[in-house]
Amino acid sequence: MIQLFHVSKYYDRRPALVDVNLVIEKGEFVLVMGPSGAGKTTLLKLLFCAEQPDEGQILVQNRNVARLKAGDLPYLRRTMGFVFQDFKLLPKKNVFENVALPLVVQGCSAFDVKRKVMDALKAVGVEYRKDSRPAMLSAGEQQRVCIARAIVNGPVILLADEPTGNMDPELASEIIELLKAINARGTTVVVATHNRQVMQQVGRRVITLSQGRIMADERQA
Amino acid sequence: MRRLAYLLKEAITNIRLNQTTTLIAIATTAFTLACFGVFLLLYLNLKGIAGSLESEIKVALYLSDGMPAEGVSALQARLKAEPEVAAVSYVSKQQALADFRTQFPEEHRLLEGLGENPLPASFIVTMAPSFRSSDAVKRWAERHRSLSGVSQVQYSREWIDNLAAIIGYLELAAVAIGAILGAASVTIIASTIRLTLYARRDEIEILRLIGATGPFIKIPYLVEGALLGAAGGILSLGVLKGGFEYFRMHLGAAGRLFSAGPGIGFLPDRLSLLIVGLGLVLGFAGSFVSLIEVGRTKP
Repeated sequence: MIQLFHVSKYYDRRPALVDVNLVIEKGEFVLVMGPSGAGKTTLLKLLFCAEQPDEGQILVQNRNVARLKAGDLPYLRRTMGFVFQDFKLLPKKNVFENVALPLVVQGCSAFDVKRKVMDALKAVGVEYRKDSRPAMLSAGEQQRVCIARAIVNGPVILLADEPTGNMDPELASEIIELLKAINARGTTVVVATHNRQVMQQVGRRVITLSQGRIMADERQA
Repeated sequence: MRRLAYLLKEAITNIRLNQTTTLIAIATTAFTLACFGVFLLLYLNLKGIAGSLESEIKVALYLSDGMPAEGVSALQARLKAEPEVAAVSYVSKQQALADFRTQFPEEHRLLEGLGENPLPASFIVTMAPSFRSSDAVKRWAERHRSLSGVSQVQYSREWIDNLAAIIGYLELAAVAIGAILGAASVTIIASTIRLTLYARRDEIEILRLIGATGPFIKIPYLVEGALLGAAGGILSLGVLKGGFEYFRMHLGAAGRLFSAGPGIGFLPDRLSLLIVGLGLVLGFAGSFVSLIEVGRTKP
């Protein structure tokens, strides 16, 4: 599903990732752990093709992202979902419109948009908020809407960057349970976090990064 | 179809939600196009006046004394038949003397001292519009100088040359000022759209990350730019029309000066539509220029 071969990435000659080799199989739930500046976000950005590696090769769904044409990039991204720590919801659109955006971009019919958006909102438990603007929602609700937007078009990979950042433990636990439920339906989930509570709750594969290098890759029982 | 409806709706929503930026863009476009329109009005009216003055280009064919009446009639018929000639009027010796006395009442004693009327009879020829250039008039005059019964051919070459030069300069200035104002419009609209893009950079990033293609992101901004440009064009026409009517009402003495000519007029419908179309094209171009930067940013 995802393969990295000797991948390095530098920002102003400062290494963000150094010689990273990694294989993530279909249907896995992978936690990428490490302190701030360890390279977690850079790794997710490379997987999402928001950045290009300076060295090495990255295959996502058997496609080499470095050789991907600019015109093909949007179509690869449509098979992936992304959950942001700061939600990145459009403030002038309501919850329904925010979640519908990936479907509108793909040209889905109005009937399909309505059905899929309501299914996604029900799956994350915020369907009663469909007419609200993001500013009217709590942080937990906004993150649920962000997750609904990420899963609305049935992605094969879901990438989440600090999805429980700035949340209290109870709320963080709810979000992680939601991601586990999505993974249980067959979606490959990669979560970057520095929250050790998440690691204990997920109990799956944990990759530890430090100063851009993989320090450990453990599979928990 | 749903995507097209979404893109149009987005463009209109952008305009509605960013009212201040929208008003600034429309006002600046209207101002630029109004400047261009003022110049166009001046150019068209001056060209009209110059055209009317061109009809004053006349050539005098002075006849030899003693030319028989049949010869005069034959020459008049010949001149009338020529394509270069728009009109011919005959001025007899007596008429020439009467005209001289009217025009120079103080000087008529000079002629009385000579006894016989020294002024020749003449044909005053008005050239056809397509033969009013300096060269055409010169060629025609040379051809008729040697005609039997014609003693002299006179016309004001300097006047014709000056008029042609003035019209040429006006046309050159029209192209140059039009190009400068056009570039200014594109720059102004590009800056305005750039402000909108900057304000909405997060939204553009989100659209990219969820798999929106370049055209899907850019089309609403292109439509927005075109709509703003067209609105600016319509507003500039309103300003021009208002200013024109005010100017015409308060023209006073200058108005009476022009009333002898073709009169001043507003832009014809064709050119009014052109200004709105120009606004639309400039708005589109402005958006296009600022969107080039979006294409250069990271994927």
